[in-house]
Amino acid sequence: MNFQLTLAWRYLTGRVLRTTLTTFAVIFGVLVIFGMNIVLPTMMEGFKANMMAAGGVVDVTVTHVSGGGFPAEVARKLDGIPGLSAYAVSLERTVNLPPDFVDGDPARPDRVSAVNLVGLDPEAARSLQVYLIDEPGRFLQANDTNAAVISESLADAWGVGLGDTISLPSVSGLTDLTIVGILPPRTLPGNEEVLVPLAQSQAMTGQEGQINTIRIALTSVDESARAEATAAIQSALGSGYQVGALDPGSEMFASLKLGQAAFNMFGVLALFMGGFIIFNTFRTVVAERRRDIGMLRALGATRRTITGAILTEGLVQGVFGSLIGIVLGYLFGAFVVRLSAEPMKSFLNINMGSPVVSPALVVTSLLMGVGVTLLSTLLPARSASRVTPMDALRPSLAEVEYKRRAGASFISGVVMIGIALLGLVSGNMGLIALGGLLFLGGLILAAPMLLRPIAWAFGRLLAWFYARQGIADLAQGNLTRQPGRVTVTASATLIGLAIIVALGGMTTSLTGMMDDILHKTLGSDYLFIPPSVAVWNSDLGASPDFAARLGEVEGVEAVASLRFAAGAINGQAVSVLGLDPQTFPQVAGLDFTEGDEAEAYAALASGRNMIVNGAFLATLGVKVGDTVEVTTPEGPRSYTIVAEAVDLLNAKVVTAYISQANLAADFGRTDDVFIMLNLKPGVALEDVEAQIKAIAADYPQFTVMAGKKYIDDMMQYMNAVWAVMFLLLIFLAIPSLIAMMNTLAINVIERTREIGMVRAVGATRKQVRRLVVAEALLLAAVGTAFGILAGLYLGYVIVAGIGVMFPMTYEFPLAGVLAAIAVGLLFGALAAVIPARQAARLQVVEALRYE
Amino acid sequence: MSLIQTENLTKIYGAGEAAVTALDHVNIAVNEGEFVAVMGPSGCGKSTLLHLIGGLDRPNEGNVRIEGVALAEMDDDALTKLRRQKIGFVFQFFNLIPVLTAVENAALPVTLDGVKPSEAKKRAAEWLTRFGLGDRLAARPDQLSGGQQQRVAVARALVSEPALILADEPTGNLDTRSGDEIASLLRDVTKKYGRTVVMVTHDPRIAAYADRIIFLKDGKVVDETNLERKGAADQIASKMKEIGD
Amino acid sequence: MSVRHAILGLLAQKPRHGYELRAAFEAVVGGEEAWEVKPAQIYTTLERLEEAGLVTCVSDLGEGAEPARRIYALAEPGRQALSEWLAEGVTPTHQRDEFFVKLIVALASGESDPAHLIQTQRGRLYQELHDLTTRREACNPQTEMAQILLLDKAIMHLEADLRWLDIAEQRLEEVRRQPLPEPELRRRGRPPKGDKGSTYPPPVPVNS
Repeated sequence: MNFQLTLAWRYLTGRVLRTTLTTFAVIFGVLVIFGMNIVLPTMMEGFKANMMAAGGVVDVTVTHVSGGGFPAEVARKLDGIPGLSAYAVSLERTVNLPPDFVDGDPARPDRVSAVNLVGLDPEAARSLQVYLIDEPGRFLQANDTNAAVISESLADAWGVGLGDTISLPSVSGLTDLTIVGILPPRTLPGNEEVLVPLAQSQAMTGQEGQINTIRIALTSVDESARAEATAAIQSALGSGYQVGALDPGSEMFASLKLGQAAFNMFGVLALFMGGFIIFNTFRTVVAERRRDIGMLRALGATRRTITGAILTEGLVQGVFGSLIGIVLGYLFGAFVVRLSAEPMKSFLNINMGSPVVSPALVVTSLLMGVGVTLLSTLLPARSASRVTPMDALRPSLAEVEYKRRAGASFISGVVMIGIALLGLVSGNMGLIALGGLLFLGGLILAAPMLLRPIAWAFGRLLAWFYARQGIADLAQGNLTRQPGRVTVTASATLIGLAIIVALGGMTTSLTGMMDDILHKTLGSDYLFIPPSVAVWNSDLGASPDFAARLGEVEGVEAVASLRFAAGAINGQAVSVLGLDPQTFPQVAGLDFTEGDEAEAYAALASGRNMIVNGAFLATLGVKVGDTVEVTTPEGPRSYTIVAEAVDLLNAKVVTAYISQANLAADFGRTDDVFIMLNLKPGVALEDVEAQIKAIAADYPQFTVMAGKKYIDDMMQYMNAVWAVMFLLLIFLAIPSLIAMMNTLAINVIERTREIGMVRAVGATRKQVRRLVVAEALLLAAVGTAFGILAGLYLGYVIVAGIGVMFPMTYEFPLAGVLAAIAVGLLFGALAAVIPARQAARLQVVEALRYE
Repeated sequence: MSLIQTENLTKIYGAGEAAVTALDHVNIAVNEGEFVAVMGPSGCGKSTLLHLIGGLDRPNEGNVRIEGVALAEMDDDALTKLRRQKIGFVFQFFNLIPVLTAVENAALPVTLDGVKPSEAKKRAAEWLTRFGLGDRLAARPDQLSGGQQQRVAVARALVSEPALILADEPTGNLDTRSGDEIASLLRDVTKKYGRTVVMVTHDPRIAAYADRIIFLKDGKVVDETNLERKGAADQIASKMKEIGD
Repeated sequence: MSVRHAILGLLAQKPRHGYELRAAFEAVVGGEEAWEVKPAQIYTTLERLEEAGLVTCVSDLGEGAEPARRIYALAEPGRQALSEWLAEGVTPTHQRDEFFVKLIVALASGESDPAHLIQTQRGRLYQELHDLTTRREACNPQTEMAQILLLDKAIMHLEADLRWLDIAEQRLEEVRRQPLPEPELRRRGRPPKGDKGSTYPPPVPVNS
């Protein structure tokens, strides 16, 4: 209704600070949700684009469900299927290039950090796609060796031309390729491609006889005929193959999705806090306008009109907040995309395109922002509709029914906390997780009753600072006068700070554990590290020859390696790592949680047995002793789980360790992706370094590093990650800052007359300012106290949760608690700045006249 | 038939020992076109009487009839509608919505009744102009003096063309001069515009503007004075006649 | 305050004859009802003023003609007397209050219900007030501010009377409980001004 909109708009513009703060609460939540949902899909798009070949007439793409290679013969099964016009097989691998590959300067990363090595059958490929090559260049021919076709843009980036030779890393050292043709510049996002004959790429990647992609063109454009053909292809190939969308690198997607989920949770929490802020504001708004509302009722406004007017006000804020949030979220997302483009490119070989915004995301963000706002406005709006016309004529009523409710909520809160603690003792993971929610809820419910004693305790503390001025007493009294409002504010602070403490608990515990595992699993003297650790699929390995040459160096005691193949179990991608059961335990190690170490290695050597990590057990819902069917390029194979163990690099990925012999037999992979080396006792690093590095020069895909240094680097890196995470969490605690500022602003406006009175009887501006600051600090202290309490519990829950995959013990998060206290008090002081200035600036006479 | 008729109107606040009888079987009648003042010491129940007549509150016993219709039998929505269409209110603390302009405030009752905003504003502007506020239509309440705000409130009470105006201490928050202006305006409301006004006041000077004064004490009617019939106004009228002759 | 000083003041404005003076006087005090002065009073006063040398007769159209024809002007001593009068403050005159006496008599004699007396009196006062406010409203503030002022004064006095009636009503029981003064004995020989505390409430000046 027009009238309600006018009223809402006027009221909102009448209280600029409050409206701004409240709207900002919505903006923030939407910003986080929207921004984060831009960043990750953009990364995924980039990732997909890397994997996807360009255009042509390709209708259907076939890949193995594991994302890995499969025998080239599989393609024969397609012969004779009706409806197919043509197909072409290829073996495509990302080849990561070290930062100093082209210019030899490690400090200045190259513009091209990775290329897609595409091995194809030239004839078949041309039947699907036209390759425009300028004379005198030519396309590949089936019998070409060491020939390649690249795009003009790549040629420019590398500074090469037709007839020049380029060197690319391969499993057997550097391979030289002669450029025989140049394609037009690449315009699509994603990696540049280096086209070579299929046999060439099979040799370079160590995947003899394997392909990983079949591209198919269909004859018909009719929907149903196409669906029929697709179904025929699927049935010809069997369930081990994926027909349709290209979906390699699911392990990558999984970890990106996990990140997205986490950020969405933060966004929802931020919105939740925003909801608290809005609720607080509107509760005050209704109390403040009791007389206006009563007046409207007396003049003939129905209850529905009043509810509508308040809801409209919420709606206006919700819509504006969400829209601004979306715009800022886009900017934020675009900023993050730009910021992360470089690291993404060099670490994960993802070229990020422009930010991806789906209409669904816009709608969802809008709905969530507006929804939360309306939801938080609902209760105040309903209480507003209960204002009677008589309220227009009476002095405003105090919150009479409040105390009665406080008692009931206290009891239910305590009961909830009790249940939560019981859940913790029970050790049942589901109960513990549920307990986290109960604990938070219980704390919020119990808070109003606890408020007075806590405020009193902190008040004493504060009185010690502001000795003999009565400020602490007054602040304490003011704060406890509106226990409901303070509780809601403290709850917002609680959530913000609980996250900090909880994550602090997690990182503290995790760091301790990581340190432990690092030394156990990566304790070797030398490491040969591929560019993309843990996302093995995109790493180009080295043939066993490399490890063998390293083993021959004098002074080297033992060499162990990890090999990789992509597998799948029940449609879930599994990272299958091959190790040598004899040499591996000598050089490196796994951290065993279940099963005997020696027996497990022996079992790997003796048959189709596997050691798996916690993520594996948790994701697939199996236990040690079970037998699982692994989808391999050769078909399904049964493996028995003999032990649970973890190593640092693969901890978060669903991983199974099998013997290298089995890996070669079932997956056809023999290339090493990660190599560790131990020196003989008494041999100094310097003695062998030169020799090792000389051998490694042929394999630039590996970074050679001393194990100790690697561990140090890892720890340093981890600490940096934690630091960034803490910053992010502080960012996420911003709504609690808004909440406090909002509450203080409300308090100051509400008590304008009182402040005038205090000034009239002799308080200086400075004292008034201090009064507000004291109140802010008290408010922050209450929220912080609750937040730390909740955070400790939640942290424990998280650690217990991770403990399912990772054996770890809970350590008290001193850093997190200190950070929470610092953030809480800092925010408290910050929140006081504007309201305190406002209060101090009040003119005594005007303040006294204020109604 | 009287416009307003109360029958044994009784209102008790609180319960048990703390119960306070604000109105005790009050029977009054107000005729159309009359300007009635209700007087009495504070706490005598005069405001309560006004609230009950206006359907803002419900009696414990007895009934109020407006144009013969009993309010006791109406539900909240019906009462709301009655207030919207038949009754205008003027309060002590003007009670203007601070974020709306003078004309928007005055237009509120008709806006709430679903009249097109432009039409509602037009009507409100007419009343405001009659009351000498034609040049302050767009002013916010805080830009108006107390007297001006109360004139806006009177315009608001009249905009829906109600038969009855209820005024609760309309001059209580005004200086003498503005008080006189408002009282005289209310008298005009009855004399010029033919409405009925019931006004609660404790100010004799303001009460004297009325045609009739009802005195309440301890929730009961203790006295009534008719000022218009035998008062000096008659003499004035006869004097005017003489001059005319 | 006397008619005398009013005449001096009016003559200071311009010379006038007796009839004119009376009309001007009535206009100043707000009409016949407010303060009635008979023509004879004017002429007697004028004669006395002339004898005292405060005014002079400036035009005497007919020898020993009708007083109405004689035009008087202010003499120098008259001007001095006028300015002396103007310079002084005015002590309000406490007039006897008839209603108060009625009330006490009713209390003392028991012949009538004092509460009823108060009610009747209140009705009268309200009627008076109603009349005055009506008249006041009829005045044009652009041209008749002097009359409005005078009416305001009367209105305010009436308001005070009405408030006093309220107080009297509230305290009626108290007065009844206290021993009543012997009205004749106490009040005789002592001026009401000096008789503080002997009666409550003290006499109220009323200008009507």
